[in-house]
Amino acid sequence: MQDAAVLKGTNDGYELVLDERASMNEIFSSLSKLLDKLKTQTASVSPKAIKFDVLTGNRLLTSEDRKKLEEIFSNYEYFSIHKVLSEVISNERAEKIRQQENVHVVDRIIRNGQDVHLEGDVIFLGTVHQGGKLFVSGNLYVMGNVHGIVQAGYPNIETKLIIGDLHNAQQVRIGEQFEILDDVSENNLTRESVVYVNDLHVIDYGKIEDLKRINPKFFNMVGGVING
Amino acid sequence: MGKAYVVTSGKGGVGKTTTTANLGTALAMMGKKVCLMDLDIGLRNLDVVLGLDNRIMYDIVDVANDRAKLSQALVKDKRFDDKLYLLPAAQNTDKSALNEDQVLKIVNDLKPNFDYIFIDCPAGIEQGFMNAIVGADSAIIVTTPEISAVRDADRVVGLLERNPLQEEPHLIINRIRRHMMQDGSMMDVDEITHHLGVELLGIIFDDDAVISTSNHGEPIVLDPDNPAGQGYRDVARRLEGESVPLMKIEQEIHKSFWKRVSSWFKKD
Repeated sequence: MQDAAVLKGTNDGYELVLDERASMNEIFSSLSKLLDKLKTQTASVSPKAIKFDVLTGNRLLTSEDRKKLEEIFSNYEYFSIHKVLSEVISNERAEKIRQQENVHVVDRIIRNGQDVHLEGDVIFLGTVHQGGKLFVSGNLYVMGNVHGIVQAGYPNIETKLIIGDLHNAQQVRIGEQFEILDDVSENNLTRESVVYVNDLHVIDYGKIEDLKRINPKFFNMVGGVING
Repeated sequence: MGKAYVVTSGKGGVGKTTTTANLGTALAMMGKKVCLMDLDIGLRNLDVVLGLDNRIMYDIVDVANDRAKLSQALVKDKRFDDKLYLLPAAQNTDKSALNEDQVLKIVNDLKPNFDYIFIDCPAGIEQGFMNAIVGADSAIIVTTPEISAVRDADRVVGLLERNPLQEEPHLIINRIRRHMMQDGSMMDVDEITHHLGVELLGIIFDDDAVISTSNHGEPIVLDPDNPAGQGYRDVARRLEGESVPLMKIEQEIHKSFWKRVSSWFKKD
């Protein structure tokens, strides 16, 4: 039978491949054996700390498995885990990524007293009434009417933007910064305003034409999927 | 099987009780059997507006707590032979004296015996509001053309979206002053309706007589010539499924002969 834990060397370092079909017990015992062997082999040469990438294949380690794995490594002075990589992710996490990476089109009325929280970028076609609040974790593109409060980068991401007509809004918030629009000169707000947080961590206003200058990274994000 | 409407607004003083009393009276005059439920416990007014305050024996809290039967607590309005009844609120306690299950049971007990049940909701969005909407099939939202009333109505529509009733809510815009709306100093009917996104059931003009008749315990709909009474009668007919055009905001100016003559000699 093939070993449940196999050592591989790559350009980037050492990988420990765990057989996804083997039971965790098999893996742990096989891994201990492997590390014992490595220890004796490396003992003859000058000892050097080695970090391993642990590849789990189509298997997600539970937190207990993970703990056990770390326990095994803690027995060896010079060996440690660099990172644990899996080919798969949980549904929950996948859904979260999907939510975050998608641009959601939202068309609804957010009324006085209602708080709406959305993950990811949002194109908003509806209406936010006075006293209504729209919180978006990504960027917010306003194509509807905003008479209430809108926030991009909820709760604390200051690199996000709000774009659109904010003439009638009560407040804009990005990350932890906020501004009461009554206090802002009308000239700053056009039909296509870009609201962003500048280098001084203050909310600032620009035009869509200047978007590239305001946030050069903004365009790089469009089109690609970034799986964190 | 009757239909229960909750009359609500969020804000106080926009005319919920007046609307409840007048709609109930108008439908009773049309031959429908109507029960008006006052849920403004502790601050009851509906009985006063209807002129029935002297006739109260038991109230809704007595019924809920089995101290009285429902039929004992109902107060009959003798003016509309057996058509209009009031289930009065208690005055010696507050909104927390009832819970939602108790109100639901009372409404369900009333439904088979009446064509319409109007539930007069207290101002606010606390327990009293929740009690009022639980048994209702539909809501009538009363607002006035003021920003504060419209904001609160917006809040209430939002709350009703979260606790949806069988039917979409309806809107009544109360206390419209024609001249102010005409010269644009008051919010427009279309503007309010569009903003709230609720179907307009009717508009009621502001009229001094509404107050004076309420003070005598006579709902304004009993006055055949009054424009506010006309508004409520129109709403009642719309609830009955008739299509009645909205009353015109533009005021027809009936000047007396001598005023017209004198206006010819005025400079401007």
